[in-house]
Parts: sequence; structure tokens; C-alpha cells
Amino acid sequence: MGRVIVVTSGKGGVGKTTSTANLGTALALLDKTVAVVDADVGLRNLDIVMGLESRIVYTSMDVIEKQCELSKALVRDRRVDGLMLLAASQKNNKDDIQPEQMKAICDKLRTTHDFVLVDSPAGIERGFSNASAGADEAIVITTPDVSAIRDADRIIGLLQNARIEPINLVINRFSPQLVGNGSMMDQDDVLDILNIELIGVVPEDSGVINSTNRGIPLVYEDGSPGAQAYMRIARRLTGQRIPIHNFEQKGLLNNIVNWFTRKK
Amino acid sequence: MNSKMANSTVALRAYRDGLHLIIRPHLSITEVEAAIQQEISRMNRSLAGVSVQIDLKSPTLKKEEIELLSSKLQETYDLTVRGVEVADEPVPPPIAAAPTTHVISQTTDTRPPRDSEPSRIIPHTIRSGQTEEFPQGSLIIYGDVNSGSEVKAGGDIVVLGTLRGSAYAGMNGRLSAVIIAMDFAPLQLQIGNYVNRSSVSQEPRGYPEIARIGAEDVIIVEKFVKF
Repeated sequence: MGRVIVVTSGKGGVGKTTSTANLGTALALLDKTVAVVDADVGLRNLDIVMGLESRIVYTSMDVIEKQCELSKALVRDRRVDGLMLLAASQKNNKDDIQPEQMKAICDKLRTTHDFVLVDSPAGIERGFSNASAGADEAIVITTPDVSAIRDADRIIGLLQNARIEPINLVINRFSPQLVGNGSMMDQDDVLDILNIELIGVVPEDSGVINSTNRGIPLVYEDGSPGAQAYMRIARRLTGQRIPIHNFEQKGLLNNIVNWFTRKK
Repeated sequence: MNSKMANSTVALRAYRDGLHLIIRPHLSITEVEAAIQQEISRMNRSLAGVSVQIDLKSPTLKKEEIELLSSKLQETYDLTVRGVEVADEPVPPPIAAAPTTHVISQTTDTRPPRDSEPSRIIPHTIRSGQTEEFPQGSLIIYGDVNSGSEVKAGGDIVVLGTLRGSAYAGMNGRLSAVIIAMDFAPLQLQIGNYVNRSSVSQEPRGYPEIARIGAEDVIIVEKFVKF
């Protein structure tokens, strides 16, 4: 029986879809069978980020309306074995789907896949309840800024009320330079507020924009700091114990610069 | 409009040394009595057994009138008058020797209202968007109160963690209610009908702090030592 994990954040633009695409691909690269599900009905993006937009014929809406079988709606990613995408309908909106229908799809997918990653839309309304309906675990994405953290905090409360556990945290777009000169929260500040398990820190990586535009998830091109971070998170998801990477800048010069530019 | 009128005539205020009944000058005894009735009914809680100090501004009521008023307070509202003070100036600041507590009733009182009151324990962190409300008594939180969340209590609020959200103590009008947190970085504090935003520090200081209504009818936040 596979694990259904909802990827969510509350706030928009913090990297839910990018993280879903990269974690799904990374898990497939680790020889797991993965289904990524776009739950952002009406505003779908996961297909673009994964570079599969031209191959989508059926969507989850067609499956719900019994226009086609679930297996037919799944789009196979040809670059790696065992990775499937279930796209969201772009014509409908979030109220056209019931949470029970999403749960039924997730429950079916988990019988054939090791991991089912559900890409949640921003917000706390119907889209979120649809995305989390079938999930037994959650990954909350946040960036190290106060508004994203407050929204993440809200989402964590909702996930806890829905008895979704464990809830793991990914801190995205982390910038060691900004932390170094005191203008960005470090990971301890974030964890102090959110108080959940940290599963990974993804550094700010300009390669993400290019990879999104080309539809090639970062993890295919190993080597960039972002790709390595997503690979480490995927490994942790499979149960490997890898210590959290420390992105703090090292070196005597940096220490001296940090000493003088620190706040407080 | 009524409450405003009542405020301009008489006012009940909780200070460090207990409850004060402040009576403004140039009033007849009937006006004062009517205003007291109004002020006490506005508080919607019993003041039975509480002792009160009468603060008069000159020119003042006659001595017989004050005695009459004291006995009326005792009879009608079960309020004990522990002293009468006449002042030319506004009410003096709290007595410096008084302990840093917030007792509405003196230690000699046999029935401090807090004793019989229930408390609720929240055994987890309160996250953004969540609200905990307990009008019947005090709230104790084993965790943080995060930014975007709200805690409200009829009595005191004690946060055994960091207070980052909004806290509203004394929601039924109790001005002696306090807010205590291990780390104090709230968005907004409210005690009774007083709201505080300006003097609230956003950075926790690293020691427990207490918020209560101070002498000048403003919420003050200071290092918490003990009750």
C-alpha cells in the first residue's frame, strides 16, 4: 500500500508545484513508483513544470465523471521509470470536485504506486480540503518570511485537525547570504514558530526558473544545490537517515563579515 | 451615551492596592448614587465582598453624605468601604510599596473571586487562525500562541511558551485580569476594555513578562517575578 502525501503551504508562490514535481521525479529516480496528482483544478501548473502539458488527454475530472478509466488518464513520464501524472481539469473549478471523489482517486492510486504526491492549491478553502482528503501525510512548504510562516502555521493547524500525520516541513528559497547578514530568518527561527519535523531545506536556486520554463525538473540535472536538496528530501521520505544540510556560509572572512553585519 | 455619562460622574478602577471608586466634583448625592448604580450594573459581575476606596475630588460631598453613601454601598452592593480620600489632584499613582500583584480585593478578604473560578488548560500550541475562548475563567496554555491566533479569557491568561498572537484577558470587564507569558511578543493585548499595541515589544526579551492595567489606565508590560 502506497503513501499518499499532500504537498501544501497555505500561501501561494512558495514552491508547492516545483517541490511536488521535483520530489516526485526524485522518488522515481530512487526506483519508487510515483503518481503525482495536480489538485489545483482550474489553475493547473504541475503539467507544465513537469514538461508533460502536450500529452494530457484526460484529467481527474474525466475520471470522476466516468469518461475514462483512471489508468487511461495517467500520463507516464518517459524520462524515468515509474512516474505518472494525473492532471487537473483546466475548464472546471474547485467546487466541481468533492473531497470524497479525490479520496477515492488517491485510494485507487495507492494500490499501484509507492508514493502518491498531491499538489495542493494555495488557500484553505475547497481546493485544500479536496487535496488533503485522501492524504495520510503532509509536506508543508514555507519560505523563511513571516507571511509564509503564518500561513503555514494556519495550514498545520488544519492538517492536525484533520488528523493528518506526520506533517513534515520544507523550508524553500533559503538564502545563506541573507541569513548571514541578519535579514532572513534562519531555520531555527522558523522551527521555533512552526514546531514540526523539518525534512529539508532547499536553497534559493536561480536554476528553478529555467527548469520550470523548459519543463525539466531540476533533479534530472544533478549538481545544482536545489536538485541536491530535493534528492536529499526524497531519500529522507524513503526512510534514509540523512542529516539536515547546513547552508551557513563557512570561512573566516564570512565569519568576520557576519560578525559585523549581524543584527541584535 | 449612558456609559459615557456614568464615566464622567463616577468611575470604578482597579489599582494595585485594590478597587477605587472615583467621584468627580460638583455633584449632589442623588446624582452620585444614580451614577454608581449605573456603573456597577455595567460591570455585569457581582462585587459582593469586595472592598473599595472612595476617591473624592474637591469640592466634595458633605461628611454625612459620605457616611450615608458608605452604608448604602454596604447594603445595596455588599461593598466594604475601606477608606475615603479627598484629593485636589487626579488620583495618585499606585503605592510604591505594594507588591507587584493585581489583587482587586485585599488579603483580608475571605472570598477572592479567583478561587472559585474554573480554569481551562490547553495542552498544545495555538496556531494561526485558531481561537481559544473561555469566558468562565482563566486559560493556561502549554505551548505557544502563534501570530494570527487569539486567546480570550474571563480571567487571566498564562502562556507557558511564546505569546505572538492576540490575548484578551478579563473579557467580562474584569480590570484586574493579567496576561503572563514566558516570552512576550504579542500582536495585541487587551484587558477589560483597554487595548495595547504601542508599547508591545516584537522581540521576546528572554524572560517571562506580565501585562496588567497600571496606574494611568494603560496596559503595562513588565518583568514577571511572582504573584
